[in-house]
Amino acid sequence: MSVKILNIEYYLPKTIITNDDLAKQFSDWSSEKIEKKVGIKERHIVKEDETALDLALEAGKKILKNYDKDKIDFLLLCTQSPEYYLPSGACILQDRLGLKTNIGAFDYNLGCSGFIYGLAVAKSLINSNIAKNILLITSETYTKHIHPKDKGNKTIFGDAAAAIIIEKSEEEQIGEFVLGTDGSGYEDLIVPNGGLRNRYDVNAKEIDDGSGSIRTDNNLYMNGPEIFNFTIKAIPKVVDEILAKNNITLDDLDYVIFHQANKYMNEYLRKKINIPKEKFYLNLLHTGNTVSATIPIAIKDALDNKLIKRGDKVLLVGFGVGYSWGGTIVIL
Amino acid sequence: MKKREFIDELKDALEIEDKDQEITLETNLKDLEEYDSLSVLSIIAMIDKNFGKQIPSSDFIKVTTVSSLMELIGKKHFD
Repeated sequence: MSVKILNIEYYLPKTIITNDDLAKQFSDWSSEKIEKKVGIKERHIVKEDETALDLALEAGKKILKNYDKDKIDFLLLCTQSPEYYLPSGACILQDRLGLKTNIGAFDYNLGCSGFIYGLAVAKSLINSNIAKNILLITSETYTKHIHPKDKGNKTIFGDAAAAIIIEKSEEEQIGEFVLGTDGSGYEDLIVPNGGLRNRYDVNAKEIDDGSGSIRTDNNLYMNGPEIFNFTIKAIPKVVDEILAKNNITLDDLDYVIFHQANKYMNEYLRKKINIPKEKFYLNLLHTGNTVSATIPIAIKDALDNKLIKRGDKVLLVGFGVGYSWGGTIVIL
Repeated sequence: MKKREFIDELKDALEIEDKDQEITLETNLKDLEEYDSLSVLSIIAMIDKNFGKQIPSSDFIKVTTVSSLMELIGKKHFD
């Protein structure tokens, strides 16, 4: 059996934080410096009463405008900003989207690698004859976890949801996967409090990282340098493995889309792996790093802006929190 | 690598455009106006590119002078 990505849509919340907004709050930041360094102009963020499930619902509605929702026989929701400990957000979403009840649905908790894992699971569900038409939604609101005075993370992250339909196909359009995990780095990107190990602490003390960012253990913490170390060490090897497993060379690929972490890191990876600039997607200008939504947003934008066309062979790689990573080659 | 070349690479990584700005082995990186959380990434990238090494962030925090950074990379890499 073969599978393909049929369609992608995404939804961005309406509220926008511009670089000027950040420069006003953090006196040592300037708009130009932010754009030059991290390649971001603005990021969309959820309102206080808006959640990842709300974004997921909007993205889901958008994609189902052009698809018979009764055909969906499996729903996957990737998020690290769940509505509740239980039930699974996917169950609520099944009802809100008006999907049939005789379908499977579950959440899974991954970040920047989440879209790749969703594709891998969707492919295996179809290949094992469990489902035929899968709705995958990646929805993330890291800004909910970020401290209002955390300059670094506030600059980088934005909120978004992407919806993807994966279907049976005549030809194989989703290739072989390389997946990886190294939990020894779990503390480098983490929200320490709020789970059952360390409960949310109303008296959590403020921690100043010495470079202008403040947070508490209730908030998102990212050890940027260590994440960078992991990425530059792991990803070039992962790319080699994906190419070998799919029996293809970089030259034979039409395009490369990595998780859009930040401009500096992605550009360094591009040079290190020797990917030609014209084959490499790099655009976080209007969204920032939207975690598990960056790759589907990038695919849709690259198609809409004719950077790629239907039928192109595209290498996809996601990496981050966990650490968790994965990649594959798709024919769009 | 010659120490002089290393200092030039470091100035590039820190985006110090003033050619006359003096950086010596004794310069404390944290005293530089250009040194911030993003320039740490640039220095990590510069070391990876030139020496194929990743410096753990727990070691990086202890870096003060240019000389201490070179010690972290390994004296054997420098003439």
